[in-house]
Amino acid sequence: MAFEYLPIMAQNSAPKPPRVLATPSKPAWCPVTKPVSQSRVALLSSAALRLANQPPFIPREDLSYRRVPSDPKAGALVIDHHSGIGTVPKQDPEIIFPRTALATLVDQGTVASLSPRHFSFMGGVKQQKEIETELAPAIAKDLIEASVDLALLVPY
Amino acid sequence: MIEARGIPTLVIGTVRDIMSKVTPPRAAFVDHPVGRTFGPPHDTARKRAVLTRALAELPMFATPGEIRDLGCEWLAGGSRAWEDELRAEMLHDR
Repeated sequence: MAFEYLPIMAQNSAPKPPRVLATPSKPAWCPVTKPVSQSRVALLSSAALRLANQPPFIPREDLSYRRVPSDPKAGALVIDHHSGIGTVPKQDPEIIFPRTALATLVDQGTVASLSPRHFSFMGGVKQQKEIETELAPAIAKDLIEASVDLALLVPY
Repeated sequence: MIEARGIPTLVIGTVRDIMSKVTPPRAAFVDHPVGRTFGPPHDTARKRAVLTRALAELPMFATPGEIRDLGCEWLAGGSRAWEDELRAEMLHDR
């Protein structure tokens, strides 16, 4: 049986009520029409992750996002998210943002190509309306401009 | 939102109970501690293996909101010994 996180989150937030988990107001479904071997792929991370020379995120209600070059040689990754789970991933951010592994799969032909940019934003933001009307559309526009066929989202 | 603009998405996550509540279009469950989705730090082979499994699962999703288990084990033999340590870590961080 999978580890249960919700009871721990409820315990941590007490005596306040547990956090309300948001669901999309307009769920959508886009069929997969291309095999991965013919697809351009982008990574999305909610870890508020960036290159060291990019502007830092500001916890906790930061609605900005960073375009992170997909080339692993572009520079080291920094995690700005305030979550207490960060101790281990900050030792090696690629365990939550596998940009080198993805680049290797491109070299092997498993994946056709990399989006020139991956994307990261602050997870846990409570402004659901702004996420749906500002943040998500802006990232979607960038993905379209990069001709991305598949977006892999790794929650933090 | 991204799917509505014509791009399929795949969530690759460790927190199954939350994924079942927020119902992303497609979710691949990795039975690792949170924050270690693709394995322990600096384990190149493990990162590649988890990502490869997730991508291989993509054609198997048939209905919106489906969560598919990638069959990953954090410890050899499927030991759940990591759970107590993770629980203590998460409660300590509150």
